[in-house]
Amino acid sequence: MIENLITMNGYGLFVWSSFAITILTCALLYLKTYRTLKKYEKDFAKELSELSASQRRIVLEKSKVATQVLASYNKSI
Amino acid sequence: MLDLINPSKIFHWIEKFINFINSIFFILLAVALTFALILSPPDYLQGESVRIMYVHVPAAWISLASFTSIALLSIAKFIFKIKNLNLITKSIAPIGLMFACLAVITGSLWGQPTWGTWWAWDARITSMVVLIIFYIFFILAHKFVTPEEKANKISSIIAIFGLINIPIVKYSVDWWNTLHQPASIKLNGTSTIHSSMLMPLMLMLLVLLLYCALIFLMKYKTEIIRIKKKNIKRI
Repeated sequence: MIENLITMNGYGLFVWSSFAITILTCALLYLKTYRTLKKYEKDFAKELSELSASQRRIVLEKSKVATQVLASYNKSI
Repeated sequence: MLDLINPSKIFHWIEKFINFINSIFFILLAVALTFALILSPPDYLQGESVRIMYVHVPAAWISLASFTSIALLSIAKFIFKIKNLNLITKSIAPIGLMFACLAVITGSLWGQPTWGTWWAWDARITSMVVLIIFYIFFILAHKFVTPEEKANKISSIIAIFGLINIPIVKYSVDWWNTLHQPASIKLNGTSTIHSSMLMPLMLMLLVLLLYCALIFLMKYKTEIIRIKKKNIKRI
């Protein structure tokens, strides 16, 4: 049964390559997207930390997104 | 209605959706792969090579649907002047490009044992290559054109022009004599695919759609942060 699953009556190379290429490409795009997102979150948090305390308070009060990015970044470190 | 695309309003939902998809994704992937590779029967004509269809067909559908949404959103952007639609179209494009390439590659892997050739300048395959070119131009416009407003305008024009190619891809198998087989699944009309093959196909489609949603949300979140980072000094 396992041999049949691997060889697939001579079509194994084509079938397994199709699934492997699809899964591998999807995994690579996921990794690239994830890393870019984390990089932007880190840069954003860094930029916020460089602001003075009063400026940072104003930004966090005015921007819900800034508050959430900071919370998400702090959770991930 | 417009609140649904307001980044500030939906930002906290994005994280929740990402977590939800992550929690069910691998279970569904395992089920779909079991059906596609083990439980579904071989085709009476194509044999085991029919299993390639379970990745090829959803990949082709997703690439067409992605480009259609990019083009329609680009038209909406011109009519309603909603800037956030740029973030959405920009986030969809890489997903569509990847699936268009996968559709061509897996199609080629199916073509070799079935047609006896890796490649043919067939109407369906050629129109898919044209679709890939439109995707590449759309992404390159965002990458290399400055200022951003100009890039958005150029990429929207590319998407609207590219929309002409979508019915060509879809109906190429009916309009011309092609190597590619006609559609087995029809929205209006009788589908010629057996339920034992329809089931793994739909499962694989569901899994790949969830994957698209995951990548889209992560990219959209990245775009929102990029915009907010730019505006941080203005606040």
